[in-house]
Amino acid sequence: MAYQDMFDEFKKEFDVQNDRRESLIKASRDITSLSKKVIFLLHRIMNEDAQDPSAQSKRASESGMAKLREVRAIYAKIKVELQSDLFWRHHRAISPCLQEYVEAISFAWYLGHSTLVSFNQVQQELSDENGVPFFPLPLEDYLCGLSDLTGELMRLAISGIARRGGRDRARKICVIVRECKTELDKCAPHVREVRKKQAVAAESLAKIEDAVYATVIRTSEYDLSDEILDCIISRSISAGHGGNSQGSGRHFCSDNAREDD
Amino acid sequence: MDSHWDYVNGLLEQDGELREKIREQVADLDKKARDMAGILDKIHSTPSKSTSRVTPLLDAVRPILHNCHETSAALAAIVPPNQFWRWKDMWSHSIRTVVYAAALAEYLANGSLISLERTSETLGIKEEWKDRFCIAVEDYLHGLITMVNELSRLAVNSVTLGDYEAPIEISLFAKNLFAGFTKLNLKNDLLRRRFDSLKYDLKKIEEVVYDVKLRKLTAPRS
Repeated sequence: MAYQDMFDEFKKEFDVQNDRRESLIKASRDITSLSKKVIFLLHRIMNEDAQDPSAQSKRASESGMAKLREVRAIYAKIKVELQSDLFWRHHRAISPCLQEYVEAISFAWYLGHSTLVSFNQVQQELSDENGVPFFPLPLEDYLCGLSDLTGELMRLAISGIARRGGRDRARKICVIVRECKTELDKCAPHVREVRKKQAVAAESLAKIEDAVYATVIRTSEYDLSDEILDCIISRSISAGHGGNSQGSGRHFCSDNAREDD
Repeated sequence: MDSHWDYVNGLLEQDGELREKIREQVADLDKKARDMAGILDKIHSTPSKSTSRVTPLLDAVRPILHNCHETSAALAAIVPPNQFWRWKDMWSHSIRTVVYAAALAEYLANGSLISLERTSETLGIKEEWKDRFCIAVEDYLHGLITMVNELSRLAVNSVTLGDYEAPIEISLFAKNLFAGFTKLNLKNDLLRRRFDSLKYDLKKIEEVVYDVKLRKLTAPRS
């Protein structure tokens, strides 16, 4: 039977593709979990008490970017499995990790640059030393990653709102998340997955807006500058934590006074 | 950042236009696929013992298969390099029906299985289009399964029409094909489920063969 040979050929092809898919799924899981760890790391650093918020975000961004180079190394390793038409053949296996990676890198990027990472910048990260992309980054995955970013930014804005510079940060985040959501809404008709995610992004934005609103309302009750309010807040927070940190509260205050000069 | 979003929206629009162009071709391919399936449906009411009765059906199907050349060339021209797998879901349903038609026509004409290569030739698909437009093995196999589904009906209906030999030929053919399928390690998807259901078709065909043989309706074989 000649066509039994044909089925033998099919078997070989299926086995090769199935093995490839399995290994890509494994790599994808590794990348997803590493990217999630980066996001946790960024939140952890941003939640530490720091005297200089901008230095703190810079430090967080740098640590995040350093850790993301490990992820990049995995992408560099699996790129051979994704050459020519293989990328789209197995796109579904790696799409989740691409989205998670975009989420992590855009978060780290935001902390370093206060802007959204662009599509080409992410593609550049996913390229070798000569700027040749490992594979074409799908726009859909980039957009989904950004949509997920809004959730992380919401967490950052709200968990840090009582910290020094937190209200200012929340206001800035509010602006960028709003921009992000508006633009993604425009893209949503073209990309089904983004459409599904946008409801969550809208919720995140509403939470940030409510939080910023609350701070503005409360602030209006005091006729004080942002720096002095920061000082009062940090003192009252450290007072709540007991004697040891009280000193640092006062230290913040004197620090501020110097800045005011 | 505004220019970035303009850029992103530009890319999305390009994709949208591409999708629209593919959709037009797929609508065309789908029409051809349905036309052929419609014609081939008539085999169930056409006694195949007299080949002359089936020939007109095959003659009606062949030009449509040939017309698929245009659609194939159009799709190969539209799909960007290396993006076959990105878009193939759009036409996989239609192409499976086309494969089914080509495979059934081949079986009715020559009693043999059309190879994937031969199917591609029939549809005018060139080897060098592989990264843009081709018949994926999965889709070819889906088409074959549809053919076996139909053949199990044909086994029943040809007996009704007085052709007692057809079920025996069909049985042999389907068993060989099934043996080929059993070699494959299929993942847990639609193809796997459809393959699993093939055994019911085989069972039905065997029952027909049994009925026919039991009543000594077939010519004794040497």
